[in-house]
Amino acid sequence: MIVIIDYKMGNIKSLENALDFLGCKSCVTNKAEIILSADKIILPGVGAFDLAMKNLQKLNLIETLNQAVFEENIPILGICLGMQILADTGEENGPTDGLGWINGSVRHFSFSDSKLRIPHVGFNSIRFENKSPNLFNGLANGADFYFVHSYHMICERDSDVSSWTNYGEKFVSSVQKGNIFGVQFHPEKSQSNGLTILKNFISFHGGDIKC
Amino acid sequence: MLKNRLIFTLLYNNGSYILSRNFRVQTVGNLDWLKEYYNFNAIAFSIDELVVLNVERGKKNNENFSKHLIQLSKNCFLPISAGGGIHSLEDAYKLLNSGADKLVVNTPIIEQPNLVSLLAKTFGSQCVIASIDCKKDQDNYYVYTKNGIKNTGLIMEEVLKKAEKIGAGEIYLTSIDRDGTGQGYDIDLIKRASNLTKLPIIASGGVGKYEHFVDCMKNGYATATATANIYNFIVDGLIKARQYIQKQGIELARWDYNLQNFNNYFKNH
Repeated sequence: MIVIIDYKMGNIKSLENALDFLGCKSCVTNKAEIILSADKIILPGVGAFDLAMKNLQKLNLIETLNQAVFEENIPILGICLGMQILADTGEENGPTDGLGWINGSVRHFSFSDSKLRIPHVGFNSIRFENKSPNLFNGLANGADFYFVHSYHMICERDSDVSSWTNYGEKFVSSVQKGNIFGVQFHPEKSQSNGLTILKNFISFHGGDIKC
Repeated sequence: MLKNRLIFTLLYNNGSYILSRNFRVQTVGNLDWLKEYYNFNAIAFSIDELVVLNVERGKKNNENFSKHLIQLSKNCFLPISAGGGIHSLEDAYKLLNSGADKLVVNTPIIEQPNLVSLLAKTFGSQCVIASIDCKKDQDNYYVYTKNGIKNTGLIMEEVLKKAEKIGAGEIYLTSIDRDGTGQGYDIDLIKRASNLTKLPIIASGGVGKYEHFVDCMKNGYATATATANIYNFIVDGLIKARQYIQKQGIELARWDYNLQNFNNYFKNH
């Protein structure tokens, strides 16, 4: 079963709809025992970095998630803000510690080109690396995904990056490290391209992933 | 690169979908009608975003509107924005829990600015779209609220700056004069707004033919173009519009399958 973490950060209806469409059983919860028995975990999120971490703390989810990912080796996919909080720190509404699973920080876009608008909203293409397992299996390099964000992750190691996107500068649009996956875009809002990614994630077998 | 966006706007009124001309409304059909005349699975794969606005006059029935949203959003894997009748945080939660990803606010920008700020703080600025309805008088564009009925006496520039200040993340800019006329977007209005803000602008009001999308996308003032003309784009109109725009050399997002093909593809792989 796929567990969607419920920590009161935005709309998860569309994610449930997408998993339903893919014929996949999902459960929205913040209960530790259900999370620890999941086949896969999805960490969604829309809103602000500091509030997301505060809510995880309030619900005692940080320890549970650490246990699920590092002791139970359950694959996890962070989406949008859910990817950003995988980093060490964020600066939204003041410096805040993230989960610290991917070394790096989350910063506001800042452009010298005054024509570029913030937030970065709409479909943009990604250039991905063929990692194993491959979240982008079945997609052409350059495929379009829906983004809506003003902050982006800066990774310490390029080896943690699984795709890049251009908006004023080259920025990290997805990360992958062992059983930890994160996408800055919204697969549940990216038409068939996004459904493909979700399908790939839910289809990974234990043996595919080296932790 | 970031692509232009083609947005379809559905105007909802008491369980029906309507056509608007200069903000005067005419009922077209209910949800069954919409499903019969619009192959929604196909439509949803020919647009980049869907906007659904409750344009009921007087006190709006948020309950029924939310039920429609749930139905509409079921097999739509694209961003959905909803608005009309958001007067509290609870109203916003209701729409977000019914399948909306972004909230559209209009009258509250003027009458409940604190609510707009609260929405931006709670859900993030990227979740809040400020809808600004404008009517031209001499050389100024005046902003109207309450479904285009009430002249606020404020000019577009003031309201735009205010919307930005209280936390909006996008601007949905409508020309009341062009609405439903099919004469094309008011490019001058969009240009003025675009020069004043860094927020992405969605152009609305006036599309009558495919060229109008192209004209607006080519000059680059708006990052998205919307149409609410439910008659002009009936059956496969939006699919053809998308193909036409791409043929004119404008980059739109591409995806390989519609829902039916997607299932077949995965059955075979």
